[in-house]
Amino acid sequence: MPSPATLRQRAPRLAGAAVERARLTVVPRAETRAARLPFVSLVTVLLLGGVVGLLLFNTSMQQSAFTATSLEQRAAVLSARQESLGMKLEQLRDPQEVARRAQQLGMRVPAAPLFLDLSDGSVAGDPAGAQVLAPVLLEAKAPPLPAELAPATQVVRPPEGTLSGDRGNGNGNGNGNGRADDRAGDRGNREGRGDGRGDAARSDRGGRNGEASSDRDRGGDRERRDDRGRSGRDR
Amino acid sequence: MRTSRYPRRGAPHLRLRIGFVLIAMVLSVFGARLVQLQGIDPGSYAAMAAAESMQDVVLPATRGDILDRNGEPLAESVDGLMVIADPALVNTDEAGNEVDRAPELAKLLATKLDVDYVTTLERLRRTDTRFQYVARSVPAADARAVVERAAELGFDGLTTQRDPIRVYPAGDVAANIIGFLGTPLADGTPQPLAGFERTFDAELSGTDGSARYSVAAGQKIPLGEQTVVEAVDGRDLTTTLDRELQWYVQRVLRQTVYDARADSGVAVVMDSRTGEVLSLADFPTYDANDPLEADEADLGSRAMSDVYEPGSVEKVLTLGALVDAGRVTPRTRLTVPPSLQRQDRAIGDWFDHGTINLTLAGVLAKSSNIGTVLAADKFEGDELRDYLTAFGLGEPTGVGVRGESPGIVPAGSLWTSQTQDRVAFGQSVSVNALQMAAAINTVANGGVRVDPSLVRGRVTTDSGEEVGTETVTSRRVLSEDAARKTMLMMERVVDPEAGVAPGAQVPGYRVAGKTGTAQRANSECGCYDGTFTVSFAGFAPADDPRFTVYVVVQNPRNGGGGGSVAGPAFSKIMGYALRRYAVPPTSTKPSSLPVEW
Repeated sequence: MPSPATLRQRAPRLAGAAVERARLTVVPRAETRAARLPFVSLVTVLLLGGVVGLLLFNTSMQQSAFTATSLEQRAAVLSARQESLGMKLEQLRDPQEVARRAQQLGMRVPAAPLFLDLSDGSVAGDPAGAQVLAPVLLEAKAPPLPAELAPATQVVRPPEGTLSGDRGNGNGNGNGNGRADDRAGDRGNREGRGDGRGDAARSDRGGRNGEASSDRDRGGDRERRDDRGRSGRDR
Repeated sequence: MRTSRYPRRGAPHLRLRIGFVLIAMVLSVFGARLVQLQGIDPGSYAAMAAAESMQDVVLPATRGDILDRNGEPLAESVDGLMVIADPALVNTDEAGNEVDRAPELAKLLATKLDVDYVTTLERLRRTDTRFQYVARSVPAADARAVVERAAELGFDGLTTQRDPIRVYPAGDVAANIIGFLGTPLADGTPQPLAGFERTFDAELSGTDGSARYSVAAGQKIPLGEQTVVEAVDGRDLTTTLDRELQWYVQRVLRQTVYDARADSGVAVVMDSRTGEVLSLADFPTYDANDPLEADEADLGSRAMSDVYEPGSVEKVLTLGALVDAGRVTPRTRLTVPPSLQRQDRAIGDWFDHGTINLTLAGVLAKSSNIGTVLAADKFEGDELRDYLTAFGLGEPTGVGVRGESPGIVPAGSLWTSQTQDRVAFGQSVSVNALQMAAAINTVANGGVRVDPSLVRGRVTTDSGEEVGTETVTSRRVLSEDAARKTMLMMERVVDPEAGVAPGAQVPGYRVAGKTGTAQRANSECGCYDGTFTVSFAGFAPADDPRFTVYVVVQNPRNGGGGGSVAGPAFSKIMGYALRRYAVPPTSTKPSSLPVEW
């Protein structure tokens, strides 16, 4: 066993410098302090920047959400408007409407077409037979009146002759009645019938002219009925 | 220094224990709360949380349009709103005092919304309710404008809700086929009530979607929870109808029914080559925008649901079949007596005559019942019945129209010689108008019967049937030669000298056709009641047919027959169709088959 003295002697010889370096020594406390200010300001800036940035980001998100919502609403309003305009357009393009306007301009449907060949100027078809047809009946007839409202046929006994003095009188009465009824509007046909009867009674007295006027009255009545039917449809 | 620090820090173990106990207490409180929240009725708490901030919205699917063959709309959907009023809010001013503002608001609504003033006033004055409809199915733009205007004027209590509108831009055009929707349910679900709207509802309606997102103060939270299931819009349904042509056919048909003072009428226009129905018109009809105004009997399609005896038009099928079977030719000579005594009764003609010598073409041109019966004697067994079935009589056409009635061809066990005599000229057999049009179209299409179709593509009906142009089948019924010969005989019908229906001619074109004037069977008395069904079926140009038109008028009261009532209507409709599709005349010589010998 080698003595400590020999060890101490040998060690430096083997790795003196390394052993010297490996020996732990107490290092004196480092007195150097990093400047505090830059660090604190860096952290502050980072924190503040982060907070403000987040705030701005949030605000802008919110802002764009508002914008998106309002744009969506606007889009909905505009598409609703487009739809209602489209509806109006379709009403104008309705074949019925087109035909109505065309007929107002005097256009008619031909019975058959003729073909003009542009290469040689020949016409195919029957020019003699290619007339126009009568105007197309566009509106349906008014529906028939219910039985309660349809006046019963008035049977008037044919008068023996005509008295010239009563002619103007009978007409005047008839017209006057007609106008009064017009004004009464919707008062109903029962009244119309009453008028008719009154006329008939008068016409018994007044002769043939009076009867004619009562006929005209009834005709007027019929026309009014048609009118009413049509306006009902419009509604 | 060191020793003095220990007492200040205290005993670490003790501190740890106290700390753990505190933590355990807090955690057990949390645990208990967790059990309370998640163990006992977790659903209601989740719902409460969702109600606080989550919003569920239904994304409505747009109903598909119904289009004609050119893409013109026959039915389309428009975004609509219902305007609802809360009478209590309307009649309260800002300070909360009761005032009567109903008249003012009713006046505004009546002018802007096309609603009745008095009705609206009454509704706005109701005190027993806080929900009153003011107007329904108002176009969204108009409804919003009114509600905004009311708000500007200081009225409170008006709100809107979704209420989709179905518009039929062409009114009564094809209404009997398209059908209509009833008033939508409160949640905006449409109510298909008739026609294609109902038959193809599954196709048209689509599937509503839904959106769920978190909101705060009425605004979507930008990065909040959000799930969206997009709505699947309904598919458009394209029909084979031609809107313009359909309109014209309906107007002509109406005029014809008026002029004849008839009960009703049907007109069919078919594309001869494809069997596509270009027009299927009914009269009386109705305005699809206002179906409640119409008689309920007018809402269906008479062309499909009413069966009747076709009368003489059927002779085309009888004679065509005879020619195809090789029993006769158009020039076959027949001696037609004034009246023909058969087993159970005498058969007569519509016109008085002595014994006349008619060719087969003459029998058709003059529409002789006796001649047809004599010719039909050459059939063996059930041959005629088999031919009629092959022409498509007695079986549904399968075009997808609701309530189709297939008509009757007498069953084999009922097929006696008497039956055959009557069937030969169109009695004792019943058809619907489209069936008959398809049967006549067989002659136009060179002897090949094509199934008629009303819908483009392949669509499934509500009863699970597949219909449409892609499901169409065709079968040969007559040989090409027999079809051509039948056509030549039919051409004699419209000849002014040889035939009975010169009114059906289209100037410049070769037209082949046949009139029909049949007695109407009355189901009440089980007899012929003295009224008639008059009809005309034909095609043009005869030697290269493009359209088959069939016009049927029920119970004319002007004493007219097939040639004088339905013939001119046929001519108008055919002329219009030929012009619309720019079909030039064929400029060949018309048939000059002899009618007498």
